[in-house]
Order: sequence, then C-alpha cells, then structure tokens
Amino acid sequence: MVFSLFSWWYGKGWAGVLTSTRRRLSILAEMFSLKILLSTLFSPWRRIITYPGAGLDARLRAFGDNLVSRCIGFTVRFFVLLAAAVAFVFTTVVGLLELVVWPLVPLAAAVFIVKGLL
Amino acid sequence: METLDLQNGRARRARLGRAIGPAGYGLLLLLAALGVLGGATLAAIHHSYGYSILGIGLLLTMPAVWWRYELRDVPVRTGTLADRLSNDVLVLLQPHQTYTPQKLWEALQPNWQAIFFANHLLLPGEHISDLFSDDSSQMPAVLQEAIRIADSQESPSVEVGHLIAALLHTSPDITLLLSQVKLSQTDVDAVSGWLARGLAGMRQKPASFGGIGRDWASGFTPRLNQFGHNLSAAIEHQGAHFGALVDGPGVTGMKTAFSQGAGAIALIGPDGIGKTSHAYALAQNVLAEAQDPVLAHRQIVALDATAIMAAAQRPGDLEYILTSLLNEAIHAGNIMLFFDDAQLFFQTGPGSINATQILLPAVQSRAVPMVFAMSPHDYEQLRATTMAFAGLLTPVVLKEQPEAETLEVLADTANHFEIRHKLVVTYEAVKAAYRLSGRYESDMAYPGKAIRLLEQSLAHANQKVVTAASVEAAIEQTRGVKAGTAAPVEADQLLHLEDSIHQRMINQTHAVEVVANALRRARAGVANPNRPIGSFLFLGPTGVGKTELAKAIAATYFGNEDGMIRLDMSEYQQQTDVARILSDGKEEAKSLLMQVRQQPFSVVLLDEIEKAHPNILNLLLQLLDEGQLTDSQGRRVSFKDCVVIATSNAGADSIRAHIEKGEELEQFEAAFTDELINNGQFKPELLNRFDEIVLFRPLKPEELAQVVRLMLGGINQTLAAQNISVELTDAAIAKIVATGNDPRLGARPMRHTLQKAVENTVAGKILRGEAHPGDHITLDEPDLSL
Repeated sequence: MVFSLFSWWYGKGWAGVLTSTRRRLSILAEMFSLKILLSTLFSPWRRIITYPGAGLDARLRAFGDNLVSRCIGFTVRFFVLLAAAVAFVFTTVVGLLELVVWPLVPLAAAVFIVKGLL
Repeated sequence: METLDLQNGRARRARLGRAIGPAGYGLLLLLAALGVLGGATLAAIHHSYGYSILGIGLLLTMPAVWWRYELRDVPVRTGTLADRLSNDVLVLLQPHQTYTPQKLWEALQPNWQAIFFANHLLLPGEHISDLFSDDSSQMPAVLQEAIRIADSQESPSVEVGHLIAALLHTSPDITLLLSQVKLSQTDVDAVSGWLARGLAGMRQKPASFGGIGRDWASGFTPRLNQFGHNLSAAIEHQGAHFGALVDGPGVTGMKTAFSQGAGAIALIGPDGIGKTSHAYALAQNVLAEAQDPVLAHRQIVALDATAIMAAAQRPGDLEYILTSLLNEAIHAGNIMLFFDDAQLFFQTGPGSINATQILLPAVQSRAVPMVFAMSPHDYEQLRATTMAFAGLLTPVVLKEQPEAETLEVLADTANHFEIRHKLVVTYEAVKAAYRLSGRYESDMAYPGKAIRLLEQSLAHANQKVVTAASVEAAIEQTRGVKAGTAAPVEADQLLHLEDSIHQRMINQTHAVEVVANALRRARAGVANPNRPIGSFLFLGPTGVGKTELAKAIAATYFGNEDGMIRLDMSEYQQQTDVARILSDGKEEAKSLLMQVRQQPFSVVLLDEIEKAHPNILNLLLQLLDEGQLTDSQGRRVSFKDCVVIATSNAGADSIRAHIEKGEELEQFEAAFTDELINNGQFKPELLNRFDEIVLFRPLKPEELAQVVRLMLGGINQTLAAQNISVELTDAAIAKIVATGNDPRLGARPMRHTLQKAVENTVAGKILRGEAHPGDHITLDEPDLSL
C-alpha cells in the first residue's frame, strides 16, 4: 500500500494538480463570463441607449447619452475583468506552487522527521 | 473467459478506501493539520521534536489527499473486467470468496442499485437467491453478460446494476419467475437502462450558463417579466432535467431552423406530445449554447395570454401591451418569445386575441426569434384564415416516439414522482400506464397521456408502491371501464352469465350463449383489444327479445341498464345524418360519438340498422374493424370497450317460415345469411365485420307463458309497495297468451294484454275495497277483464 501511495503521489496525483489547476481556471473564465465581457467591453450598459432624432442637436444628445452608457458598461466590465485577472493570477500561482511543492512533500516529511530526531 | 479478479491493485485500493472512509479521512486531516501547525510552532521555539512532529504531519497529509482524490472512488480504466468494475462493486465483494451467481446476488443486495431492481421489478426479496445457481462455473457467463450490458449502455464502468441485470438474464429459473409476474428479460433490460439513465444524470457535471456578465449587454425586460414566464430562468434556478429532449429531433429541428435564418417557428403537435417540454428543453440547450450567434444565451420567455387579456381593460390596451412586449423583446436583444397554446393569440372571440397583425412585422423582419406552439388542427386553421402569417412560420412537427422511447420518458418521469411523493413506481406500472392510456385516452398523444395516467395512479398506491393494479384502478375510476383482472366474485358472475341473463330472458339460448362467450373472452383478455368487446347483428321478428337481450347485457355485465346507448337508425336515413353521428356534441348534444366519449364502457344498440343511410353503414365498417371513429374535430373516439349490437327485422318472414317448417335455427343460419346478401338487404363486407350474426326465433306459446310470468313478476314488484301480490292460474296465463300473441309482433303486445287483464282487474279490486294490504290475489280466467 505504501508503494501504491507513492506511485500515485508521483504519478496520477502530481498530474492531477495540473488538471485541477486547469479546471479551476476554466471555471473562473466561465464564472466571470470572460469571452462575453471581452467581446462586449465597449457595449452600452444593459442596452440603455437613446435612439437619435432627426436634428443635429438630437443626434448629438443621443451620442452623448450613449457614450455615457458605454462608459458605464466599460467601467463595470473593466473592473470585473480586473477581478478576474487577479483571481486568475492567484489560482495560477497557487497551482504552480502546488506543482512544485507536491513532489517535495514526502522528502520534506522524511527530512523533518530525521532532523527532529537528531 | 472473464473471471472476478479481486486481488488486483484497484480492488485493494477500493477496499482500503472503504476501510478509511469519510471518518478516517477527517481524522487523518485533523492529525495532519495538528502535526503541521503544532510541529512548526514547536520548531519555531526550538523544541527538540518540533521538526519530527512537522514531518509526521506532512506524512499524514499524503494518505488524506490520496483518499480524497483516489481511494474514495477508485476510477475505472478501459480494458479488462478488473479495470472496469466500479468502486461500489469492488467494496462489496470479498477477495478470498469463491463467487457463484447465488453468492454474487447476495453480496450485491445491500447496494442501492440492487434495491432499485428489486423495487422496480417487484422481485420477491426472501427466496429469490435460492433460484440462482450455486455453481462457480456459471460465473464467466454472468460476467460476460454484465460486460455486454455495460457496453450496450456505453458505460465505461461495470456497475452493480449491470451485474444484477446479468444475473437475472442468465438464470433460467429467474426467467420463469419473471414470466409468472408478467415480466420478461426485455423488462430487465428496460429497468437496467432506467437505472443507467439515472446514474448518468447523477454524475452529470453542472451545466454552465454563461456566468455573471452574460446579460450585461442585453436590455432590461420589466414588461416581459410581468406578462411572461422566463423558461430559461426556471431552468437555471430549478435545475435542468429535460433529458433526451434537449438533444432530441424537436429541439435540433428548431435550432437548425433558426440557424438557417427562420424568424419564427410553428411547433406543431397534438396535445400531450410535449410542446411545452420542448420549449423548456430548447431553453436548456440554448442556455449552454455559446457558438451560434443567433441563439447564444437567449432567454426564452413564454407569454401569458391570460395575464395580457386581464390587463387590457380598454379598447386599444391589448394592441399597446403586445406592441410594447414585442419592442421590449427586440430591444433586449437576448430574448426568444414562446407562444404556448398559440391559437389563443390568433383567434377572435372571448378568451382570445387576434395578434397576427401586430406580430406580422416582427416575424417578417426576424427581429426576435419566436416559437408558436399549436396543434395540427390549429395550424391548418391558421393557414386557412391567415395564410400571409402562417406562410412566414417554419413548421417543426413533433411526432409520437416509438414505444421503447416513450417508455423511457415515462420511466424517467416516474423518477420525479418517486422523489416528490416518496414512493416507488414499478416498471409494471410504467408499462400499464403506457398500455392503458393508449387504449382509453384517445384525446391526447404520448407521452402526455401516459404521464397523466401515471400521475393519477399515485393516489392508488398500495403501501407507497405504485403497481399495474394502481394504474388499472386509476383508469377504472376516471373512465368507468373494467381494466383490471376480474376479481373472484366477478369471475364467478362471468362464468354464470347465461344464468343471470336468463333470469330476464326467455329462451334464445343460442343468442345468449354467443354473447356471453364474447363477454368472457373480452374480460379474460383473450379477445382482440383493438376492436369492440363484441359486435353482434341480431336478426329476427319483432318482439322476440333482441332489445331485451341488449338490456340484459347492459344490466348484468355493465351494471346499469340505463347506461345503454341506443340509436334508432330509422332516424339516420339521410346522407347529412353522417355528420350527426360524428358530431363532437356542439351541434348534436346526443350524438353517438359524444355519448360513447362520455360513457366508453357500454352497450351500443343500433336499432333497425337496415334503415340507416349506406354512408352510415360504411362508418360502421370502420367502427367494427378498428374499434374507433374520428369526430368532426378530428379526435378519435374509442369503441374498444363497447359491445356493439345492431338489430334488424330483415328476413323476419323467412325465419318464421323456416321455423314453421320445423327447422332449427342452426339448420338454416348460413343459407339465411346468403339470402340477406343476395336480396341486397346487407352488404357482405358489413355482415363479415360482425363477430356473430345471431338469429332469434319466434317464441312458442309455452315460452310466451314464461314471458307472462316474468312480466307478472314486474307487476308484483310494483304492488309490493302496497303489500299486495297477484298470482295467475295456468288457465289465466293461457288466456292472456292466446289473446296477446300476434305472430307478427311476437311478445310485444303481451305487455299491453297483461296490463289490461291484470293491472286493470287489481286496480278495480283496490278501489272497490276488495283488496287490502297483505292480500294475495289469485286471478283465474273468468276474473280477467279482457
């Protein structure tokens, strides 16, 4: 059983860390609607728009209104994308750390036990 | 040759996983955390064993993580049986045991999948293991069969359910046991498939519907929220469970049509086919759709016609609300509109809206995808009235699925009933719901009608188990038919049906026997279920008991003489009368089809059939052949639980002549039928459709005397209220027979004669004070006032 544990630890278990990190990143992308937010980054917020009237004045006013709506939309999406980026970086770093630390755990355990006894 | 290898690494890991269990995992995790934290703290303060404790903590982390990601549910691999046996199987079986089919059956019993089989097939729990072989040489066949079943279900693992199904398949004694409870190996396969679909559903990863920013580029829809029901939101919040429908032909057809540029779809199908379920399934499919630019992440909103009409208080409100709803949907950009019962939006009159003119521009411009659900009849009506609009709709026609697939839908729906009502629905009940709804529910299509019947059957569950008997009880209650097996009392009544009928019928033994046999065949389930219970042509002179026999059947078999549906066919002599027969009840309240729809389990008596218009006789051909007719609304009306009796006086003189020559009915029956065909009174195709052509012979004087005694019994019943009884001497009876007997009219004038002779005499006695309560009056020939 000990052999089984170690062979899993340095085989499927270690590979699983990579799979697990990839899965977490994919969940994050889905949760933060990454594709949708990027493709609609400059779209008006909730389609709150003014349809342009006939005159120049009306057109300018509609342009201004819609620009505000787009700005609001961009701001909200930008900050969500920023939060997503932070989450991505954090998850990736944790995943990489796991990947590095994982094979060292048995060695570290052995080293610590021996060091404590000496 | 497949063998059970329980010594390999996977099996050992599975057993270790079970030994550790969630409690062991928790303990390991706790100790690991304590070790790491405690050890690190001690090491920080330079305690001598601090590092060792830290090391032990790290070491304990390893088995904890191993259990969490591997041992808890040892994953299957592709390859041999040893690689494919599921974790559940591996933990149930002992490594040093030599397994036989019997021991394997017993070992698997604690698992929920084995219980699923036992509950849904109603297997007798206690003695069934004795029916399996205790010979280990039988095992390779069982294992091979389990692999075959798993492969047929495209399952990578061999589950407990596969082994149970394989055991049931490979044991001859079990096949015999199943046949005794009206089940077959096909049913075992069906329950195995049922379980596999359930397992797949449980293991399905939660669907992803787009995340938090999905709708940020779409408009708000306050009015649609007020006047509609968001099917997509319902799927998101209540779970997606439309199974095979999501990728079925209906949903695929709609998606393809929209992708190819259709602006609106007519979803056409009869009631019960699942049009609303298809809309939900489309919502589920589209929610997960990310590629198609037309459909990606669309929200399907079903408009509520009732709410819209209720809100329209003043003229013009309706148009305003509908226009604003359409504009909102177009503006939002992520809406698909669903019009359930779409005919409500296309009709004029109370309770409906004619919205075609409002919807037409939106459909033409393809501004917002729309789905209109309607029946084939409503679609045809729309095409007839508003072709310009109907022509813009792309039709997607939903058809009834084959039996096997409908049974799957029904079984999966039964799962929801089981969870909601905390009971068990057996597979036998699922099949009975399919069979009986097909027979008795002609108004709806599958699977809706079978689901409705199954739901009604839940109220008839016995000790929280819904069986075929529950379904039969439900259909008996709702439709008033006899669907279940005859109870002993009823069986006895059926076996002595002739005696019961003869209590009110004199002679005509042959006719009574023929009819009784037909009823027994039908009730025992050996008659053709797709035709009426029995169809008879009663031929004979007037007053020989033809109608009386029909009444006797209604009273003895159907339990109610008044329940007989009687049509005098002399009133149906015109071609236009065909419409009266087929009326759905709106124009002709007492139409034949309306009456049979209301009372499907009855005697249908068609008097003087020869007088009906030939087109009506053609309808009768279809009725007798297929056991059903279609009414003016296109709905089928079943006659499969009716006894159809047509009577005719045709050839009465010929019968009388044969009898007077001293011939028995059996001697001239065939020649008489030929005679009827040759002289053009009946077409051969009509006569051939009846189960039996029954000849009634004129009654002899001694039989008429018995008729008089029967009728006197009726008079005595009436007089019983006054505590007076009447008796006739033989001479008096002979006198009544002599006076009342008319060779042309049979026993018919007898009632009038008896009335005159007895009732008038007794009435006079009562009025003169000569008869008092408690008196028994004997009338002799001279006493009769004839």
